[in-house]
Amino acid sequence: MIRIKNLEKIYRTEDVETVALNKLTFEVKEGEFVAVMGPSGCGKSTLLNILGLLDDPDDGSFLFNGIEVAKFNERKRAELRKRNIGFVFQSFNLIDELTVFENVELPLIYLGIKAPERKQRVEAVLDKMQIMHRRNHYPQQLSGGQQQRVAVARAVVNNPKLILADEPTGNLDSSNGNEVMALLTDLNEQGTTIVMVTHSEHDARYSHRIIRMLDGQTVTENIMV
Amino acid sequence: MFKNYFKTAFRNLWKNKTYGFLNIFGLATGIACAALIFLWVEDELTFNDSFPKKDYLYSVKNNQTYDGTTYTFDATPGVLAPTMKSEIPGIKNTARCTWGNKLLFSLGDKSIYEQGNYVDSNLFSMLQLHFIKGNASDAFAQLHSVVISKKMADKFFGSTDVIGKTLKVNNEHEYVVTGVIKDLPENVSFKFDWLAPFKIYEDQNTWLQKWGNNGIVTYVEVQPSTNLEAVNARLHGYIQSKDAEANSRLFIFPMRKWRLYNNFVNGIEDGGRIKYVNLFSIIAWIILIIACINFMNLATARSEKRAREVGVRKVMGAGKGMLMSQFIGEALIMSFLSALLAIAIVAFALPGFNGLVDKELSLNLQNPLHLAGLFAIAFICGIIAGSYPAFYLSSFNPVVVLKGLKIKTNASAGFIRKGLVVVQFSISIILIIGTIIIYKQINHIKDRQLGYDKEGLVYMNLQGKMKEHFNSIKNDLISTGAVQNVGLSNDYVLQLGSNTGDFAWQGKDPNKQILITVEGVSPEYISTLGMKLKAGRDFYADIAADSNNIIINESLAKLIGKKDLVGSLITRDGGNQKYTIVGIIDDFVYNDMYSSSAPLILFPDTANVNFLNIRFKAKTDLAGALAKVENVIKTHEPGYPFEYKFVDEQFHKLFKTETLIGKLSWVFSALAIIISCLGLFGLAAYTAERRTKEIGIRKVLGATTGALAGLLSKDFLQLVGISCLVAFPVAWWAMHNWLQTYPYRIEISWWTFGLSGLLAIFIALLTISFQAVKAAVANPVKSLRSE
Repeated sequence: MIRIKNLEKIYRTEDVETVALNKLTFEVKEGEFVAVMGPSGCGKSTLLNILGLLDDPDDGSFLFNGIEVAKFNERKRAELRKRNIGFVFQSFNLIDELTVFENVELPLIYLGIKAPERKQRVEAVLDKMQIMHRRNHYPQQLSGGQQQRVAVARAVVNNPKLILADEPTGNLDSSNGNEVMALLTDLNEQGTTIVMVTHSEHDARYSHRIIRMLDGQTVTENIMV
Repeated sequence: MFKNYFKTAFRNLWKNKTYGFLNIFGLATGIACAALIFLWVEDELTFNDSFPKKDYLYSVKNNQTYDGTTYTFDATPGVLAPTMKSEIPGIKNTARCTWGNKLLFSLGDKSIYEQGNYVDSNLFSMLQLHFIKGNASDAFAQLHSVVISKKMADKFFGSTDVIGKTLKVNNEHEYVVTGVIKDLPENVSFKFDWLAPFKIYEDQNTWLQKWGNNGIVTYVEVQPSTNLEAVNARLHGYIQSKDAEANSRLFIFPMRKWRLYNNFVNGIEDGGRIKYVNLFSIIAWIILIIACINFMNLATARSEKRAREVGVRKVMGAGKGMLMSQFIGEALIMSFLSALLAIAIVAFALPGFNGLVDKELSLNLQNPLHLAGLFAIAFICGIIAGSYPAFYLSSFNPVVVLKGLKIKTNASAGFIRKGLVVVQFSISIILIIGTIIIYKQINHIKDRQLGYDKEGLVYMNLQGKMKEHFNSIKNDLISTGAVQNVGLSNDYVLQLGSNTGDFAWQGKDPNKQILITVEGVSPEYISTLGMKLKAGRDFYADIAADSNNIIINESLAKLIGKKDLVGSLITRDGGNQKYTIVGIIDDFVYNDMYSSSAPLILFPDTANVNFLNIRFKAKTDLAGALAKVENVIKTHEPGYPFEYKFVDEQFHKLFKTETLIGKLSWVFSALAIIISCLGLFGLAAYTAERRTKEIGIRKVLGATTGALAGLLSKDFLQLVGISCLVAFPVAWWAMHNWLQTYPYRIEISWWTFGLSGLLAIFIALLTISFQAVKAAVANPVKSLRSE
């Protein structure tokens, strides 16, 4: 599903040049659950942003489902992103002014899906995430675990082929963290490809494969048994 | 999708009430202010629109050239109207009309002065006056008939069913009411409550029959197909074809231009009130822009609060266009809410505004034009106010904002925000400077030495036999002890109506006509008014002893150019009439209060006097003195109401337009600065919030509250300082040009600028300091922990 080759990303300021990704090459197959680990500043988040089509590389190739997307403009990236990719963030990133239902509904609105179908799909996913009873609450009224479940619901409501999770349990206690990891595993078992950036060895163990990064390059890959 | 936008917008507004209030209230104030101005502008632009034939109606104007300068008058010969109708092709109708007469109407013991005109009956059809009773065709069938307004009918009879009833006019003639017409709206050039046959006036003023005498107004209705240029070409030499000596060059001037384009310089149209219509329209838009700038600045300043939402929406697939339409949509919601609030503000402020501008404007939302106007203003404001924030917010990088990183203050955004504050304050400072200079100029004129003492001076129309009984009235008035002197004159001193170019003197170029004002007065006039004699003597008390003598003003003396003019001759009518100059008075200001005095001759002649001038003794109790005067006048003329006017009050009324401009510019500058300060208040709040951590650290390191408040205020004050630098030259240029239109004017002094700048800085400091001090006194532990 994802094939990147010699990917480069360099951040420049007036005085300093920071190499975030240094000729990075790897592949993620459809249905895989991959964890990306490494110390702070090794390029994990940059990688995730590029995979999520939020940022573009300076050089190298990025094939998404066989299509070269490295040189896509913002409009094309947005189009591809909203149809294929779901995001889960460490800090949930729910919109405070929208209710649980409305937050989850958002990707479907941007996909141009009609209201009755949206309602049905949102309710189905909220039911699956067991937060249906909180549908009319605002994010501030929920616990961290509940908020992350809403975020996962929002990530999967448009049935994406790929979910990118950026330290999804970073702001949660272990019990809530485990619940979220169980949800992701469940989604993966149903066929969704997942790439997750994490600092937690515990979380990484839920994946099929761990890619370890240092200074913008992969150093090792561990296949989980 | 729009439902989602609406929800977000309303919930955001609800959550940030101060922000919402600052935005909506600021914008509503701006919209209300603009709406009031536009109501005024509409009233001015639709002047005379209630006359269905407005596109075909004209007045005849009269250009006369004296000594190389052309003056434009409305006065025309009495014989013009009937002749031009029959002789000039394309003229459908003409009507003569007097300047306006105030006559005493009596019914039983009710006596009221009413304003009206003697007119030809053609005017009824030309103006399409609506007859509630009677009809236009036979309204003037008999000589002493009168058509009255509904208002006047109600006042005298309490009904409009009054055809055939009579009203006594000036205690002399009975006039039969032959028609009642619907009251005219306020915004028309005609102000009358009665119309009577022109024939009455014509019979009393036989001089109207001469082509060289100009004394009434002529109105013309043309055919739709009339070639106006051909009419004007014919009119140019028309008077000369009747009287070769005449100086008049006539032309027709459209009703559409009467109100706003009625200024003529050297015989050529030179704008008029339209400059104020344009100026106020511009000010309305400027105030709206100031209000929109608030919106932009507050929206971009608090962008951090919306950054994450932008990031999330982008990640979820929203494109930049979608986000821009969302934020512009929010601005539109705000501006429409503001428009609703503005309606309430306008409704509340309208009575006061009407008092200020002396009009009867109404909000009248049933008028589709008003609704469409309000909608358009709200829409334009929404688009202007929303465009920049939409562009700015939608350009956030989701990667940055979702990481929870603080958005680095975008240098260009900060620059634009500061630039917009500078724009707001520059405009406010320009308006403040303008207001001060306008007020100074008005006061300058009002304090002008007129050449006579305008305080304690009263004039009244002569009524009944007052002229014949003048000596006895004078003696009675003086013996009250309150009156110092009394004199008669053709006109009241502020407005002298007669002038002519047919005087000559030794050494005068015979080919040159010089326009000289002539005024018939009684011998007491100069001493009553308090004018000063420069040379020679005043008129003798015995008027017959001065029958061929005149007194001239200094300005005419300078024109004649000789020394020791007393005793010299001035001739008239080709030398047939000779007058000896017995005195020269100091110039006094009349007619145009901004100009120097024009040449003038005083005749000791009471044949055509209309006014009684009364000088009260200095330090007299005016209320008591007036009661005594009333008593004397009532004794002599019991049949007339006692009506009088103070010269100084009438003098102040001459500056109605200037005073209005002064008051309006005061209101507009106050509003501009208030709206700007609302924005500044919001910006200061957000700046304080942004710098909470910095303030905490500085405080921990020992900074005092005063130093911190100064630190926070400094940046804003710098902006106000820059605004001063921008505003000063612009204001100087604008006000310098404005002052050039007044020959008698002030010099612009530097302190006006200093004062305006200090005022702006003081007001800005007051606004910011609240936020600055609040931030500076906050507990640093709290602010640091919150980071």
